[in-house]
Amino acid sequence: MMNRRDVLNLAVSAGTATLVLPSAVRAANHAEQSPPFRIVDTNASLFHWPFRRLPLDTLDALLKKYRLLGISQAWAGSFEGVLHRDLASVNQRLAEACRKYPEFVPIGSVNPELPSWQTDLKCCFEKHQMPAIRLHPNYHGYSLDDPRFTQLLKLATEAGRFVQIAVSLEDTRTQHPMLQVPDVNLTPLADIVKSIPDARVQLLNYRPRSPVLDQLARTPGVYFETARVDGTDGIPNLVKSVSADRVLFGTHAPFLIPEAALIRVHESDQLDEPSLRAIYSGNADTLLRTVD
Amino acid sequence: MKSSIRLGLPSPQQLKEYRIWDSYFTPAYSHPGQDGSSGLIADIERALPAAQKAEFEKLCYFPHVGIGTTTDAEFEKLIRSRPDVTLKPMERWPHLLLGMIQVNANDVPASLDALNRWLRDGPMIGVYFRGGGVGSLTCSHRNFHPLIERIAELRGVIMQHTWFVTGGKQSPGASTPSELAELAAKFPEQQFVCAHAGGEWERGIQAVQKSPNILVETSGFDATAGFIEMAVRELGPERIIFGSHLPSRSLGTELSKVIAANISEVGKRLILGENFRKLIQRPIH
Repeated sequence: MMNRRDVLNLAVSAGTATLVLPSAVRAANHAEQSPPFRIVDTNASLFHWPFRRLPLDTLDALLKKYRLLGISQAWAGSFEGVLHRDLASVNQRLAEACRKYPEFVPIGSVNPELPSWQTDLKCCFEKHQMPAIRLHPNYHGYSLDDPRFTQLLKLATEAGRFVQIAVSLEDTRTQHPMLQVPDVNLTPLADIVKSIPDARVQLLNYRPRSPVLDQLARTPGVYFETARVDGTDGIPNLVKSVSADRVLFGTHAPFLIPEAALIRVHESDQLDEPSLRAIYSGNADTLLRTVD
Repeated sequence: MKSSIRLGLPSPQQLKEYRIWDSYFTPAYSHPGQDGSSGLIADIERALPAAQKAEFEKLCYFPHVGIGTTTDAEFEKLIRSRPDVTLKPMERWPHLLLGMIQVNANDVPASLDALNRWLRDGPMIGVYFRGGGVGSLTCSHRNFHPLIERIAELRGVIMQHTWFVTGGKQSPGASTPSELAELAAKFPEQQFVCAHAGGEWERGIQAVQKSPNILVETSGFDATAGFIEMAVRELGPERIIFGSHLPSRSLGTELSKVIAANISEVGKRLILGENFRKLIQRPIH
C-alpha cells in the first residue's frame, strides 16, 4: 500500500507528466496553446449534491470532463461531508474512490462540532494520507472564533497539512427554504492564522469583499480560489489585491460548470502568462509540495 | 495584453457559427456616469475583451432615458433634455450595440412618451423593466397593461427582471416568474422574456412552463450545472435566450451555461442567438 508521500508524489508527478496535453484535450480547448498549461482544480467534490442531481455527479462523468478540459488533477472533497455526521465513513468512501483514480487528491471533511472530530482529523492525515481537510463552518454550525477551530488549525499545521474552508456552497438567494445557510464570516480569520506560525488556509467559493479582503490580503498564510470570483475582471482584481501566488484555480465542480472558472481566469486578457500558469497549477503544486 | 489562451472556449470558428447575440448586457447598469455616458462607455470597453474573445455579434444593453429609473435628479434632467447623450454609445459602436430602454411602470404617461420617442422613432428595439429599487414595480400591477399594449403595437421586445429569492423579495418592486406568468396570460399575443429564469431556476422554469409566450433568459446567477438541460427539457430550446450580464458577471459564468450543456448543437445555436433575432421584430442596423 502506498504511503502519504507516495500518494502526493504521484499526484504531483501525474500532473507534471501531462504538461503536454493530449490531442483530444487540445481539440476540446480549441486552441493550439503555446505552451499549454497544466491545470489543477483545487475545489472539486465527489458524490451527490444533496438538493439535485448534477450532470457530472458521478466519478466517471467528472473524470471524463476533466480529461476533456485538460484538468490533470483535482482536490476532491465530499458532498457527503456537508450534512452527514458519520464523517469517518464519509472520508473512508472518499479515500477509496480517489485511490482508483490518481487524478483525484482526497480532501477529508472534519466537523469540530462532533465529539469525534480529533479522531476524524487524525484518520484523514494518518490513515488516508490526505494533504488537507475541508471545513464547512456554516453548515456545521460554528464560527471561526470558536476555540475548536483554532485548535484544529494548530493540529493540522503541526501535522504539516493545510485547511480548506468552504465559505459558501450555494448563493444564499437560491438555497432550499428549509436550509438557509449564510456565508462563513471571515472576520476573525486573519488574526487566527497570524497567531499560528506556518498555518495555511485556502478559502473556497469566496466572493472577495472589503474590508475583510484587505485583512486577508495582509495574511500570507491565506490562499484564495476562483470558483465564485465573478465579473469579467474579478480574478485579475483579486490578483491585484492579494498577489498572483496566492490565487489557485478552482471550479466548485460538479455543482458549478467547470468551464466557467476555466474561461473566467483568462477572459479579460489582463493576466500575463506567468500569472496564468501560477493560477492554473503552479500555486497548487507549490502548496501541495509544502505538505510534510 | 492580448492573450492566445482560450481554455474552456470553443474555437473562434465555432463561436462565429453560433452567431451570438447577447440579450442582457449590463454596462454601468445603475448609472452611466454624471455626464450621461462616460461610465457606460468605460464599462463597455471593460467588457469588450471577453465579448470579442467569444465572437459576440451583438450586445443589447438597457439605457436610461430620464423617466425616473435612477435616484439622480440632475442626471434624469440631463438625459431627458439631451437625447444625443443617450445615443453616444450606439454612435460609437453602431454595429455592435442594441438597446432596450429602461421604463418606469410607476410613471405610465412618461413611459408612454418614452416608448414613442425611443421605440416608435427608433433606434431602440424594446424595453427593460427593473427588478428592484427606484423605477421598479411588480409586473402583475395594472399599470403594466397600457404599457404592454403600446409596446405590442410598436412590436417591441419586453425584458422583465425576475428572481425567486429564498426567504422572499428583497425589494418591494421586484417581480417573480409567477407574476410575469400572470401578466403574460393577459397578453397572449405578446412575447415576454423572463430575465434570469427567476435565478432559482428550478422554480422559475416551472412557473413559466405553461406560458408559451414567455422565454427565459440565462444570465444573472452562478453557473449552476443542469440549468440549460432542465430548461430545454421543460420549455424547449426555442424558449431560451442567452444573456451575458457582462461586465459585472463573467463570460465564463454565462457562456459556459450554454456551451457546456448536454444539449444539441442546434439547441445551442437557437439559445445563443437565433431565438433573440426572431424576437426582434423591428429593423436594426
